[in-house]
Amino acid sequence: MADKKKPKRTKEDKDEDLPFKSILESDEAILKLLKSYISSSLTAAGSSGASSSSSSKPLTLADLSLSSSCREVADLSLSSVQTEIETVIVQIARSILAGDGFSFSVPSRAASNQLYVPELDRIVLKDKSTLRPFASVSSVRKTTITTRILALIHQLCLRNIHVTKRDLFYTDVKLFQDQTQSDAVLDDVSCMLGCTRSSLNVIAAEKGVVVGRLIFSDNGDMIDCTKMGMGGKAIPPNIDRVGDMQSDAMFILLVEKDAAYIRLAEDRFYNRFPCIIVTAKGQPDVATRLFLRKMKMELKLPVLALVDSDPYGLKILSVYGCGSKNMSYDSANLTTPDIKWLGIRPSDLDKYKIPEQCRLPMTEQDIKTGKDMLEEDFVKKNPGWVEELNLMVKTKQKAEIQALSSFGFQYLSEVYLPLKLQQQDWL
Amino acid sequence: MAGGDSPAETKKGSSKTSKNTKDSSKESTLKQKSPAEFFAENKNIAGFDNPGKSLYTTVRELVENALDSSESISELPEVEVTIEEIGKSKFNSMIGLIDRERVDTKLYDDYETDKAREKRLVKEARASEIQAKNLASGKKNKEPGVSKVLKARGEASYYKVTCKDNGKGMPHDDIPNMFGRVLSGTKYGLKQTRGKFGLGAKMALIWSKMSTGLPIEISSSMKSQNYVTFCRLDIDIHRNIPHIHLHEKKANKEKWHGAEIQVVIEGNWTTYRSKILHYMRQMAVITPYAQFLFRFISETPEKNVTVKFTRRTDVMPPIPIETKHHPSSVDLLLIKRLVTDTSKKTLLQFLQNEFVNINKNLAARLIGEMGPDFSPGMAVKSVTSQQMVRIHQLFRQAKFDDPSGDCLSPAGEYNLRLGIIKELHPDMVATHSGSAQVFEGHPFIVEAGVSVGGRDVKQASHILLLFIHGINIFRFANRIPLLFEQGGDVVTRTALKRINWNSYKINQTQDKIGVFVSIVSTKIPFKGTGKEYIGDDISEIATAVKSAIQQCCIQLKSKIVKRLQAREQQERKRSLSRYIPDATGAVYEVLKQMTEEHTKKRKRYKEEETAMLEKVSKLIITKETLKEKLAEHVEQVDYEMALEYATQSGVSEEPRENIYLQQLNPNHSNFIDLQSPTFVFRLIL
Repeated sequence: MADKKKPKRTKEDKDEDLPFKSILESDEAILKLLKSYISSSLTAAGSSGASSSSSSKPLTLADLSLSSSCREVADLSLSSVQTEIETVIVQIARSILAGDGFSFSVPSRAASNQLYVPELDRIVLKDKSTLRPFASVSSVRKTTITTRILALIHQLCLRNIHVTKRDLFYTDVKLFQDQTQSDAVLDDVSCMLGCTRSSLNVIAAEKGVVVGRLIFSDNGDMIDCTKMGMGGKAIPPNIDRVGDMQSDAMFILLVEKDAAYIRLAEDRFYNRFPCIIVTAKGQPDVATRLFLRKMKMELKLPVLALVDSDPYGLKILSVYGCGSKNMSYDSANLTTPDIKWLGIRPSDLDKYKIPEQCRLPMTEQDIKTGKDMLEEDFVKKNPGWVEELNLMVKTKQKAEIQALSSFGFQYLSEVYLPLKLQQQDWL
Repeated sequence: MAGGDSPAETKKGSSKTSKNTKDSSKESTLKQKSPAEFFAENKNIAGFDNPGKSLYTTVRELVENALDSSESISELPEVEVTIEEIGKSKFNSMIGLIDRERVDTKLYDDYETDKAREKRLVKEARASEIQAKNLASGKKNKEPGVSKVLKARGEASYYKVTCKDNGKGMPHDDIPNMFGRVLSGTKYGLKQTRGKFGLGAKMALIWSKMSTGLPIEISSSMKSQNYVTFCRLDIDIHRNIPHIHLHEKKANKEKWHGAEIQVVIEGNWTTYRSKILHYMRQMAVITPYAQFLFRFISETPEKNVTVKFTRRTDVMPPIPIETKHHPSSVDLLLIKRLVTDTSKKTLLQFLQNEFVNINKNLAARLIGEMGPDFSPGMAVKSVTSQQMVRIHQLFRQAKFDDPSGDCLSPAGEYNLRLGIIKELHPDMVATHSGSAQVFEGHPFIVEAGVSVGGRDVKQASHILLLFIHGINIFRFANRIPLLFEQGGDVVTRTALKRINWNSYKINQTQDKIGVFVSIVSTKIPFKGTGKEYIGDDISEIATAVKSAIQQCCIQLKSKIVKRLQAREQQERKRSLSRYIPDATGAVYEVLKQMTEEHTKKRKRYKEEETAMLEKVSKLIITKETLKEKLAEHVEQVDYEMALEYATQSGVSEEPRENIYLQQLNPNHSNFIDLQSPTFVFRLIL
C-alpha cells in the first residue's frame, strides 16, 4: 500500500515543501480549538464533580475497602522513620540474644503480588510478605544488607541530611557489591517500614528535565522555566523542595526521549503553543513522576505523551500512568492519571506516510513484549490503545520519534505536533 | 631457489599446449580435460589452499582412508602417522640437486638494505634493553626474545608424511590405478562415507607432484597374501595415468596386512601444528576403538612431538550399508546415469529396483501418473531426455515414505561418551542419540554429547586440546572432525544462540563446557568451498541438533543440581558465618546511637526498649555478645539442616564407570603365574 503511494507523494512534494502542511491551519485557529477543548473538558470534570461530591478528592484504597488486602505507604516524618527503625532493631537484638537468630518479613514485590485496580487506574501491591531469615544460605546476603541499610538510614534520620542512592552504595561497597543490590533493598526497606522512599532521605540523581511555561519555587528560589536556556531546568530530586507552581500553559507535553525534547526546546515550541515540556530520558525516575503528578494536580492541565511507536514507548507511558511494578507500594504518589497518547502511534506510520526505510522491523522480543502488553489490564482498559497495539503487533513494524526527521529535522515541531493538536488526535 | 613454482609452471605450460593440440584434433576440449588436471587447477576446493592446509589435508585424507580400510574388514584400526621435516639441503639431495650459495644477494626478495639493517639493529637493541629492565624488575619475560625470522618467499618447507594402517590392503595389480588415476563418480549407490570428495590420497599425490615432484611410495599386503607389494609411482597429471617407477613383491615377515603410504610434500608445520594435533585428538574422540600413534620428527630434536591415543573400547560401529537413492533426492543427471547404468529392462522394474521406498504397486501408479507416453513395460533405455524431465518432476511432487536410517552408521552414544572421557577427562558428561530424520531424501542422525569441567590447564601442557572457560565446540560429520569455518556452522550457532544454558544451571562464561555434535548422513549438506561446515539454514538439522544438545543438558542438570546441593551443605556454615560481623555490627550501631539519645534524654523510649538500652550502656550487651549468640544460632541451624539432608538423600554414590582393560598381546607367551585359590596374579615379562 505504502509503496504504491510513494511515487505519488513525491510528486506532491514538489508542489509544497512538507507533506500535510497544506492541511495545517494557522496557529491562532489551532489555539482557539485547543482552548475550547480545555474549557469543555474542565466543565465536564466540574459537572461530574458536582454530581458526585466525593470525586473532588481522589479515590483511595480505603474507599474501595481494599486497605486490608493491599499495602500502601505514606510520607512519614523523619522522627517516625527513626522510631520505626529503632523498634525493628530492638526486636532483632532481642531475638538474637534469645538465640533465635533473626529474620525480616519483607513485603513481596514480585509480579504475582501486584494488582491493577481499575477504579484507581494504577497498580497496587497486595499484602503477601516473604520471610527473610538470616540463617539461610539463600537469604543471608539480603538480610545482612537490609540490616546495614537500616542502620545507615537511622544515621540519616539522626543527622537530618539527604544522600543519593550512589552515596549509600559507597558506604559499604564490599558488602553491597553493586548498586542494584543496595537499591533493591532500599525499596524493600521503605516497603517494610511503610513509608515512601523520599521519607528515607535517600534521593536519586537528577534525570528529568522540564522547560516551558512554568514557574515554581525550588528550595525557596523562583524558577522560570522559559528562561532556563535550551536545556531546561533539571527536576529536583526531592519533591518537598518544589512549590508555588504557576503556569499559563494549555497542556503538558510528555516526551520519551532526549532528542525530541531538545528539538522542541530549541524551536521554543512552548512559545508557539503555550505548554510545559517534560522528559525523563527513557524510563522515568521517581522524581520526574512525582513532579509530573504535582503539575497535573496543581495546574489541572491535560497531559499529552509523545513516545516511540514500539512496545517500550507504551510501557513508559504506562509507568507514568499506572506506576511500575517495582514501586507499586507507592503508586498513589507516583502516578499521574489520564495521560493521553498523542503519538507516535502505530496508525500514524501510514497516516503520515512515514517512509519504509525509517520504519524498523520488530524483533521477536519486541513482538513478545507487545503481545504480553495486550494482556495487561492497564492497556485493556483503553480500547483505543488495544487497537493501536494490535496494529503494531500485526504489521510487525516500529518507529522512533526520530523517524519523522526523514521529512526534515523540524517536521516534528513544524507540522506533526501542530497537526495532531489541530485534529485533537490523542487517545 | 627450491623449485616450488617450477613444476606448476611447466605443468601449466604443458596443459596449454596440449589443449591447443586437442583443439585442432577434436571438437570438444572440455570433455578431454582430465579430472586430475581439473583438481590440480582447483586444489583449494579439496583443501589444498596453501602449504600448511595441504599438509593438514594430506594427513587427514591418509588417516581417513586408513580407518575406512580397517573398518571394512572389521579390524580394530591401528594407525601410525609420521610427519618428518626435511631440510632444504636434504630435500635437494633427495631430488639430486646440489646446494648452491647465493652469490648475488641483492637479487633476492629478503635482501636487507643498509637502511633496513640499521633499523632492525636499533629495534633489537631496544627490545633487549626492555627485556633487561623487565628482568631487573622481576617481571616475567614472555618468550626469550627470538626475533621472528621471516620466511623468505620461495623458502619452502618439505615434509615426508607416512601413514600406516592394519586394514584391508590393496590387490597387487590394482595399486597403480588406485593411486595414479583420478576418477570421478565411481560410486553407483549411496553410502555414508568419511571422505568428503571421494578423492582420498589422490589429491595428496597430485599435491606432491606439484610441490616436490617426488613420487609416492606404497607398501601393501592383504590378509591372504604372503608378500608385501612395494610400489613407487607418480601421476601424469595431464594424461591422468600412473607413471610407475617400481612395482615389486617383497617378503612379508611380520604377517602384516594393511597399507603404508608415504608422500613428500611441501607444507608448513609451524602454522598448522595445532590444527593437525586437534584433528588427531578429535578423531580419537569420535573413534575410541582405534589406536593412533602420531609422530612429528623435526630437524631439531627438541621440537619432536609424539602423541599416542590409546584404544578405549573394542566395540565398533557397524559398517555403513550401501543404499539406493530416494526418489525425492535425485536430480536429472542422476536419473540419466541410473538409466544408462541399470541392468533392468522395463521402466516398472527400473523404478522398483533402483530406488528405495518404491514398491511395485507405487511404481505402477507413478507410471500411470506420468501420462500416456509411459507404460510399465516400456524399455527403460528408450526413455528420452524429455521424458526424464517428467519423471524428475513427478519425483519432486509425489509423496514418498521417508528413507530409513538403517543404512547409517553413527558413532553410537557409547563410543562418543567413551571418546570424550578418554581424551578430555571432563567432570561430567552426558550423551544423547537422536532418531533418524530426513532432509531432502537423505536420512541423517544427530548425536550429541555435552561435558562440563575438565582437566587443568597445567596438567596438559603440550597436548593442545583443552577446554577453555566457556563453550568449546567439537563438530563431526560422518565421523570425521570439522575444524574450519566454525562460525557459520549449525552446531556453533545452536550452541551459542539457541540453548539457554542458565536454565540447566550451566554458566556459559564461567564453566568449561564441551559441546560435541556428530551428524551422519548419506549426504551431508556442506557449505562453503572447502566443505568445512554445515549451514544453519536447514531447519530439520538445526532442530535435531538443538534437541540433542538439550537432551544432554537435561541429563546434566540433575547431576549439577545434586552437586550444588552437596556443595551448599559443605559451605553453608562458612557462608552464613561470613555475614555475622556485618549484621551484628549494624544492629549494635543503632543500639549504641539509641543509648546515646537515651542517656542525653533527647528521646523517650518505651519501657522494654529502655531495659535493653541500659544493658547496652552497662556493656552487658556488646557487639561481641550479639556476634556470639548469632554464631550459636547459625551452628544450630547448620546442624539441623545437615541432619535433614543426610536423612533425605541417604547414602548415595555416583554411578560407576566400567573400566576397559587392554587386550593382551597374544604373542606374549612368557608369563609367570602366581596361583591362589581366589585369583591368578600374572607377571608379564
